[in-house]
Amino acid sequence: MSLLELKSVVVRYGEVEAVDGISLVVEAGEVVTLLGSNGAGKSTTLRAISGLVKPASGDILFEGQSILGLRPEEIVRRGIAHVPEGRRVFPGLSVRENIMLGASNRSGLRKAQIRREADEMFDLFPDIRRFADALGWTLSGGQQQMVAVARGLMAKPRILLLDEPSLGLAPVIVQAVFAIIAEIRRRGTTVLLVEQNARMGLSVADRGYVLETGKLVLSGTPDQLWSNEEIRAAYLGGRTAAA
Amino acid sequence: MDLVLQLLFTGIGIGSVYALVALGFVLIFRATNVVNFAQGEFSMVAAFLMVVFSVKIGLPYWVAFIIALICMAGLGAVFNLAVYYPLRHRTYLPVIISTIGASIFIANTTLAIHGPEPEVLSGWFDTPGFMLGPVYFDNQYVLIIVVTALLVALQYWFFEHTLLGKKLQATSQDKEMAALLGIPVAVMIMITFVYSAVIGGIAGILVAPVLFVSIGMGATIALKAFAATIIGGFGEVTGAIIGGLALGVIETFGAAYISVPYKDGFAFLVLIAFLIFRPQGIFGERVAEKA
Repeated sequence: MSLLELKSVVVRYGEVEAVDGISLVVEAGEVVTLLGSNGAGKSTTLRAISGLVKPASGDILFEGQSILGLRPEEIVRRGIAHVPEGRRVFPGLSVRENIMLGASNRSGLRKAQIRREADEMFDLFPDIRRFADALGWTLSGGQQQMVAVARGLMAKPRILLLDEPSLGLAPVIVQAVFAIIAEIRRRGTTVLLVEQNARMGLSVADRGYVLETGKLVLSGTPDQLWSNEEIRAAYLGGRTAAA
Repeated sequence: MDLVLQLLFTGIGIGSVYALVALGFVLIFRATNVVNFAQGEFSMVAAFLMVVFSVKIGLPYWVAFIIALICMAGLGAVFNLAVYYPLRHRTYLPVIISTIGASIFIANTTLAIHGPEPEVLSGWFDTPGFMLGPVYFDNQYVLIIVVTALLVALQYWFFEHTLLGKKLQATSQDKEMAALLGIPVAVMIMITFVYSAVIGGIAGILVAPVLFVSIGMGATIALKAFAATIIGGFGEVTGAIIGGLALGVIETFGAAYISVPYKDGFAFLVLIAFLIFRPQGIFGERVAEKA
């Protein structure tokens, strides 16, 4: 049984099929990267998994059980944490408060316990420790990305969905973010990563899928994807894709 | 100088009522991104409930007060389910129209049940007031100021020092993200409506002995409170309080030194000046638009 399985999932926005029959699996302990250009349906796929959009057809199984039609609050309680595109750090709450709220899916925790766990997060993200009491909106994009990932990890998820963590960040910050993803993987959390930056996305992945206008066109290990000439030219074309 | 102190006291007293109603505006606005135009009716309904329980039925004042507030909590919950919840996925416009409709509905339902004649509600205390130095302290105004200060302090503590307060803030800042973290958004919004109806009710009951209890009192208070929120900076809790107090003081001084009939005019003159010269209000700009 796979940890997460999508079966012919279709998502429509009005008349447009943003996701057109995607099937994919993520096994426990894997890092899987979903590649594709802008508008290929990557974010929509993640939004369908976390319950933000309702698929028109198909099924989504988590640990063998369908989570289709559950509200986002219920899905995260089952262990799927979604760090959405644009980081979505609460602008008017402090960094520590943002991170603490990441534990909202786990019931029966005392505030002191959550605070302790949030402070431990700063060991994994030392760069944001000194901003613990700063309001979310005062942080730079890279710092907000760290907060968003830390907040996602506070859910103690079985699987972490990461949407474009490199978007809009300077190359040196992208390196730092991916170093953290590698560390998350080392600690045994399963990750489904969405990226336009193919080079970075595949560098941490066990397997990858390539999406094109709502359909999966290719899947395989990073080496297999790299060796496909057509794909390499279209999506993995080094510097231009990384821009 | 004595007159100035006396006017300051009265102004802060009436301003406290505006501040309480303005708080209700701000809390619902932050949770739903919509101005609740029925906020003033919460005050009006609570004042009438108080008249029914205290004057007509003859319950002790504090018992009537508690029962009225329990009814207000119920009204807040029903209001949320009937007026906001069915439209929660729509844009702000249908929701605003829905609250305007609810405001008309509540006012006219009260009119149909009770009739148009205004009622008089006595104050909490048997004695009218006391002198302290040169200033006469009206007991009801003292009560209004003390209760407002306590509620503001309690609310500050709740939002800044409890996890539930943080979850309410998170919900008001980004509902979708709050849901992704497992925060029950619908419950958070329900809490906001219930609380706003209750503080609107407290404001109405406190101010009732100073004014008459009438169908139109809700609209009058709400208009001032709305002006207060704009002066303070919309969506800002501190702004609502400062704006409410400022408005109370300005209209009291305006009435005393310039003209009594134009009392309401001063408040709106200040509002217009703010809309022209500082539309974001005193505390605008503190939090940037979506980071």
